[in-house]
Amino acid sequence: MLTEEKQQEILESLRNAVVQYDEELSEKAAQEALDLGMDANDAIFNGLVSGMEEVGRLFEAQEYFVPEILMCADALYKGLEILKPHVKQLDLGVRGSVVIGTVEGDVHDIGKNIVKMMFDVAGFTVYDLGRDVPLDNFVAEQMRTDSDLVCLSAMMTTTMVGMKKVIDDLKAKNPNVRIMIGGSPVSQEVAEKWGADGYAKDATNALKDALDMVASLKKLKEEAEAKAA
Amino acid sequence: MDTAVLIDEAIREQLLDAGATIVGYARLGRFLHDDIAHLDMAISIGVGKNLNRGTLALLGELQRKTSRILKESGYRYLCIPPDSDRVKDTFVSKLYPFFAHKIAATSSGIGWIGKNGLLINREFGPRLSLATVLTDAPLSADTPIEFSECGDCSLCVEHCPSGAITGGIWSRYEPYVRLINTDKCNSHKKNTKGLSDKPNCGLCINICPYGRRVIKESVQMVLS
Repeated sequence: MLTEEKQQEILESLRNAVVQYDEELSEKAAQEALDLGMDANDAIFNGLVSGMEEVGRLFEAQEYFVPEILMCADALYKGLEILKPHVKQLDLGVRGSVVIGTVEGDVHDIGKNIVKMMFDVAGFTVYDLGRDVPLDNFVAEQMRTDSDLVCLSAMMTTTMVGMKKVIDDLKAKNPNVRIMIGGSPVSQEVAEKWGADGYAKDATNALKDALDMVASLKKLKEEAEAKAA
Repeated sequence: MDTAVLIDEAIREQLLDAGATIVGYARLGRFLHDDIAHLDMAISIGVGKNLNRGTLALLGELQRKTSRILKESGYRYLCIPPDSDRVKDTFVSKLYPFFAHKIAATSSGIGWIGKNGLLINREFGPRLSLATVLTDAPLSADTPIEFSECGDCSLCVEHCPSGAITGGIWSRYEPYVRLINTDKCNSHKKNTKGLSDKPNCGLCINICPYGRRVIKESVQMVLS
């Protein structure tokens, strides 16, 4: 029997599993959620993602550093792998697919992976091109998949300049596509100048931005549900 | 200070009880990449066995034990798994290339880097399988080994089938001297197809006189 109390307990376990980077607990709590017939979306957003929000706060407060963030992300994925097959597709009025990658010449992909994780969580279809991606591949992949979002990452000033070309090419081929860029050399100014729609400075900010995005998706979902009811 | 001493002893004792052959502590400060620089104490764990599946499982268990103690005491940690057991698709695996087990092992006095480019321990030779846990716990560092103790021995240089060992001498002050021609070593691996799923030929491990006796004795003990 799934009581309200038990449900809260499982959500708390999922949250703690992520915050305390405990992969075993994450798997166990996710499995328990399914066994007791909990809604997978609820377990993800109010359990795992809620934990990751706390991780973001701990990082900002400099309680957590990069290793902890990555261990937390691994713990989140352990639970997500179990819950994801049971997620009900949300009808949000957006197609929800994204092309993501680190631009040519750049092999730094920690930030990119964090952003990718949040898209995964949000139920997006993610086309991950990986790192050191030839610039033309972004455009080709966007055309192939008809994705509405393209995310570019660069960690070096030398590779960052490649982003401008990709943005120009993408906008020329498909003016409706949304583009997010990220990485430590990128600034809001650069993003605006080059015509990108979104910008994230580093893994934490990417995490925050991605969380904001997930939060607004969640709000949309709740509104849609309220309308339906 | 007292808690530090206690955690020192607790970790070492528990690891040795659980099957570790040797445990050393090292302060690594300047050797570390920015993202992990705050975890400047290394706990180097050696197991005197071939790096097979059982040994990997044991090293994993030893790392979990260590991290549990550190976590309970409120310290940060990062487990770096053995080189041959690095699951590539986890987030935290992105940090592994920033770190080499041998730096922790030499810095904690477990051994030196031999002519064969491997960590050599006085008792076990190049026959230790290594894992490391990085932490910010204030452990008392062991004394580093500063110089190679290979001496005049050149057995591995002479017996290497691909002539990949240069004969260079490592020291803590010249840690980046070229010891192995990796292209030559890899070419041997390619030419002997039957071994393709194993890391190279391993002759430079088998020929090393350090620790050969210890291994033989332990094998005999198991057999009898």
